[in-house]
Amino acid sequence: MKVVKPKGAVILDIELEKDLLQKNRSLAKENRRRFDRLGILAIDVMGSVGSGKTSLIKGILRKLALGERAAVIAGDLTTTIDAERIAEEGARVIQVNTGKECHLDAHLVGQAIEKMNLDGVRILFIENVGNLICPGEFPLGAHKRLVVVSVTEGPYTLMKHPFIFREADVIILNKVDMARAMRVNARDIERDAKRVNPYAPVIRTNALRGRGIGKVIDSLGLEG
Amino acid sequence: MHEFAIASEIVQNVLETAQQNRGGRVLSLDLEVGELAVLNDEQVTFWVQELLKGTVAEGARIRVKRVKGVVGCDDCGRRSRVRGDPRDILAPLSCPRCGSFRVRIERGKECYLRRIQLLR
Repeated sequence: MKVVKPKGAVILDIELEKDLLQKNRSLAKENRRRFDRLGILAIDVMGSVGSGKTSLIKGILRKLALGERAAVIAGDLTTTIDAERIAEEGARVIQVNTGKECHLDAHLVGQAIEKMNLDGVRILFIENVGNLICPGEFPLGAHKRLVVVSVTEGPYTLMKHPFIFREADVIILNKVDMARAMRVNARDIERDAKRVNPYAPVIRTNALRGRGIGKVIDSLGLEG
Repeated sequence: MHEFAIASEIVQNVLETAQQNRGGRVLSLDLEVGELAVLNDEQVTFWVQELLKGTVAEGARIRVKRVKGVVGCDDCGRRSRVRGDPRDILAPLSCPRCGSFRVRIERGKECYLRRIQLLR
């Protein structure tokens, strides 16, 4: 760009130190304070499209039988499919459509909890948009972050997307009943998980059939 | 993939700052992007340029400084620069000194708007 400096004009240098990810982090802290005040345990559920996030949440809700004492924020681009599936379990559901945005952020979650009646709610699941890249970089204020990976995604998911798995408090290895058909060894994925995030326990599940759900509940410190 | 969201945030900050300082044209902006941030700085730059079109900052020079990654090891207790190719996503996941996977990323995930130069 060629700029002709007009007579009498000055060039100003403005130092900003503006952290562009900070806004989301401080909104996430606000959400957390809100959850704590209300006595709600919030759980962010992340994972690929089709990894089984909704089925896992449904499985946990069914086992805990909390009815309206559980709530779910279902994030999706435009559809209400997941929200309808979760409503079958009797939990309160709010749908958050991100439009074209690829992840939920703390602002969207803050708006959602503003709109919800959370009286008497003990547990809130926040189902993130199906994506293994962006959601990890945008904390929402949840107490626990859970990443679901299914054996049907093939053997390399953890090594290809290590960053989101590093953010996980618990890693769920779902659809283990399909491992053989997919020629994937669940043990290899568990070994990758220990490399990518040695701190997070890995729990094998078959969410559709309810297998392993009890262990997930224990790992999140929930009471059955 | 969230480069667009970050670029929008940058543009909003640039335009607000220009207005607050009663500036005319914005000449340049300086960004700092950590090499371990899940961000492609070329995409960020592209979107910032696009979003600045038609504003007082259209055509401003965008400088990007890449910040080196640093990890702290829970096993040997040392802090080290991430070695190897920063595009190798597994590089920051182990301690370059003792090889342990029990490391925390201490630097290199940030994304800063550091400086704006404008004409008044």
